[in-house]
Amino acid sequence: LSKKEIVIAVVDDDVSVRRSLERLLRSAGYAVETFAEEREFLERRDRRKPACLVLDVTMPGQSGLELHESLVASGRALPVVFITGHGDVHMVERALKAGAVELLGKPFEDAALLHAVARAIASQPS
Amino acid sequence: MNRATAEAPLDSNAALARALPLRRGLAIAVAVGVSYYLGTQVGFVLRFPPLTPSVVWPPNSILTATLLLVAPRRWWICLLGALPAHVIALHSVGWMPSPAVLGFFVTNCSEAMIGAGIVRWFSDAPNRLDSLWRVSVFIVGAAVLGTFLSSFADSWVASHFLGNSYWTVFRTRFFSNVLTELTLPPVILGIASIVPLAQQRTTVLRRLEAIILAVALVSLSMIAFAPTGRIFGQIPGAPRTLLAFLLPFLLWATVRFGPFGVSSSMLATTLVAIWGGASGGGTFNVAPNLESVMALQLFLVVVAIPLMCLAAVIEERRSVGNALEERLRFEQMLARVSAAFVHWPSHDIDFAIGTWLRRLGEFLGIERIVVLRIVPSGERLVMGSSWAAHGFESPRTKIAEREVPRAIEKLLQEKPFVFEPWASPDEALRDELELEQGGHCANVTIPLVASGRVMGGMAFDSLTAPRPWPEAQVRWLQQVAEVFANALARKETEDALRASEAMKSAILTSLTSAVAVLDREGRIIAVNTAWTRYAHEPGTVTYAGDGVGTDYLEICRRAVRENLVHSAEVLSGLERVLAGEGELVDVELSSPLTNSWFTLYIVALERAEGGAVISYTDISERKRAEMQAERMRQELAHFTRISTMGELTASIAHELRQPLAGILTNAQAARRFLELTPPDLNELRSILDDIIADDRRAAEVITRLRDILSKGELRQQQLDLNDLIRDVARLLGSDTIIRNMRISLELHPHPVVVSGDRVQLEQVLLNLVVNAMDAMAETPNGQRTVMVRTERMDGSGAHVAVEDAGTGLANQPVERLFEPFYTTKPAGMGMGLSVAKSIVEAHGGIIWATNNPTRGATFHFALPWRQKDLS
Repeated sequence: LSKKEIVIAVVDDDVSVRRSLERLLRSAGYAVETFAEEREFLERRDRRKPACLVLDVTMPGQSGLELHESLVASGRALPVVFITGHGDVHMVERALKAGAVELLGKPFEDAALLHAVARAIASQPS
Repeated sequence: MNRATAEAPLDSNAALARALPLRRGLAIAVAVGVSYYLGTQVGFVLRFPPLTPSVVWPPNSILTATLLLVAPRRWWICLLGALPAHVIALHSVGWMPSPAVLGFFVTNCSEAMIGAGIVRWFSDAPNRLDSLWRVSVFIVGAAVLGTFLSSFADSWVASHFLGNSYWTVFRTRFFSNVLTELTLPPVILGIASIVPLAQQRTTVLRRLEAIILAVALVSLSMIAFAPTGRIFGQIPGAPRTLLAFLLPFLLWATVRFGPFGVSSSMLATTLVAIWGGASGGGTFNVAPNLESVMALQLFLVVVAIPLMCLAAVIEERRSVGNALEERLRFEQMLARVSAAFVHWPSHDIDFAIGTWLRRLGEFLGIERIVVLRIVPSGERLVMGSSWAAHGFESPRTKIAEREVPRAIEKLLQEKPFVFEPWASPDEALRDELELEQGGHCANVTIPLVASGRVMGGMAFDSLTAPRPWPEAQVRWLQQVAEVFANALARKETEDALRASEAMKSAILTSLTSAVAVLDREGRIIAVNTAWTRYAHEPGTVTYAGDGVGTDYLEICRRAVRENLVHSAEVLSGLERVLAGEGELVDVELSSPLTNSWFTLYIVALERAEGGAVISYTDISERKRAEMQAERMRQELAHFTRISTMGELTASIAHELRQPLAGILTNAQAARRFLELTPPDLNELRSILDDIIADDRRAAEVITRLRDILSKGELRQQQLDLNDLIRDVARLLGSDTIIRNMRISLELHPHPVVVSGDRVQLEQVLLNLVVNAMDAMAETPNGQRTVMVRTERMDGSGAHVAVEDAGTGLANQPVERLFEPFYTTKPAGMGMGLSVAKSIVEAHGGIIWATNNPTRGATFHFALPWRQKDLS
């Protein structure tokens, strides 16, 4: 499976974070889809299932953690890499417990994110 | 002192007061009885042999005199006292049927009662025989009518029970009684009332004259009425011519010794004549004896009546002359007293009063004069000045109302109180007892009245002998008392004035503030000790002048020239007050050298001539406390701000992390794109644009906390802004008190509800109110009020205004006020308003500031009723 065919979904309310992530992941060879909020992501019509979800924890409306939990609950679980501007212990614990691959505090190193995404894709049986 | 012992003396006094009439009555009764008995014995003795009727019959006249002296309501005592004497006397002479004894008693009494009754009815002074009218009334009433009318009954008793001839008894009894009434009662009355007076006025010469007259009269009478006439045998026409010899001596007595002299002479003559007749000789010794007696009686009566009238006329003339003379002396005395008191300075008045009391006392011939002051409640008299003749004690210093109720009652009615032991009315019995126990023989107490106020009384005490107080003299004493009262009142007024001045001066001296009084021109006319001390204190504020005489306005002008702090304010304030345009100026001054603070007050002097009072009050202690409080408050504010910031750290961090994350990721992505060949320049340009934008955004986060807060996590709830403001006012309560400030609330009557974070909105109000108070540090006391208002804006939300009377926003750029770290205060961090702005804007509201039309600034913020979620 070529990297070009691997879709990474990015959900973050901050446009700058969104755009920069899109660029980084694209430079690493992934196909990237970005969403400003959960609702947009849930309503996407693309057939290709994302291999990994880069999800912002703190957003208006439903939080990233809640979205992930509801995906897990509905059997559409995806490997998730959380990113956050806050990042307290409680949140890390909850995210990892829910099956998150990694939780990265903003700002993060490109290597750390790409490594986490790679792990996420690898954790997924193809 | 317990109640029982306190009342015991009072009870015993009351008992004594009740016992007094009884004791006095008993004394009168006994005295009357004894005299009556003696009188009868004398009457029996004074008869021509062999046992003619008595030439004079004293008992009836003694009764008459007694009834004239004793008030009619006590007559029964006298008569009761006479009864046993009468019974005993008549039984001692021989047997007589009891009805006759009693009958004679009744007739004797009736004579006295008729006589005394008529005299009391018609005479203005029944116990005195010193005017023609009084003597005439006495002669007609007592000597003639009384004896005449009673003689009918007497004769009936004698004829009915003893079988005597009616008209014989009538004749003998009538004449003997007339003679006795004419001679004896005047003597008794004289002894009772004139003698005490005469004692005081008689000189040795006069006594000598009286003795010579008495000896001559008695000798001549003895010659005229002597039984054997060795001497009168040699005088031609003797014995009848001898009677003429008596006339010059009787006239002598009449002219020189008045009615008392006449009566005494006549009594003496009568006694000698009876002695002569009884010895069987003398002019009137003609047979039968009964005729001799009547002849003697006729002779004496006929001589006595005109002489008594003559004496009365002469006495009247003399007393008029005396009265005139006395009046003149009184007037002179009064004039001298008045003159003395008018010229006497008030501080010497006590001494003057002492001197004049002595002169008055000596002038009146009394032993003591006491000036009594009545206490305002009227419950007691307190001794003021007093004078007592040598050897006499000063009176007690206090006299309670219950001791002399009548006297005090009279004084309060502005009437004199007269105590003459023989003539005091029953209602004054309590007073009388008190006065008698105090050794008074007579007393008159004259009210001291000045400008319609009873101040007390002047008591004139006779301590050795009773004396009458005629109305004229009492009137004169009232004039004297008026002079004394005016002097006392003047002294009282001046004393009060002096005391008040001393008090004012003492108050001025004991003030810890430095006080100076200025006249209208601004010259110092008085200073207190604190001022003097203050003026000489090194490093003091320059506004304290030197002392009295210094031109204070000039000192202020110099201060203005030297450009001293507040000097212009002080000068203009002082000028305003001196011109009568202002009433109070207060300025706070500090003295950096001594690290002390003062409040300078300039107050208008409340008097017609104008002027001002300047005072410096050391407020260093208060100021230091204030500064301490201020420091603490600032620390608190600082801490509050820091803690507010601390609470906001998380959201600030979050806000910063977003652009930082964008920048880093973009930059790293760019590095990756650079490794591609050829590099995607469009991509790189786009990345750089994003990086620039993110960087700007991060800078914006730092400069504008609003964005940080708008993303912060807040606890939102429904709040009544009115409640919130009351809480804040309560929170700052102690702070406002220390800073001499006031928070005044004008809140909308209904709750002004918004939704928001309580702690943060409190922070907004706290910051605005503290800011307002800071702005008023230089505002004069009394105007330092922060006004907080709430109102509901129609349909849209709430408006809160915080108004101060501080320095205003004059030279400050209004838009910069709310920027962080922008401050005009030396110790300020410049965060208060910017934090407020952040919070208000986080709540969807707006904040702004305006200058007030008069003074100070107003900070406003408005919040929507329901704003969208704060996060």
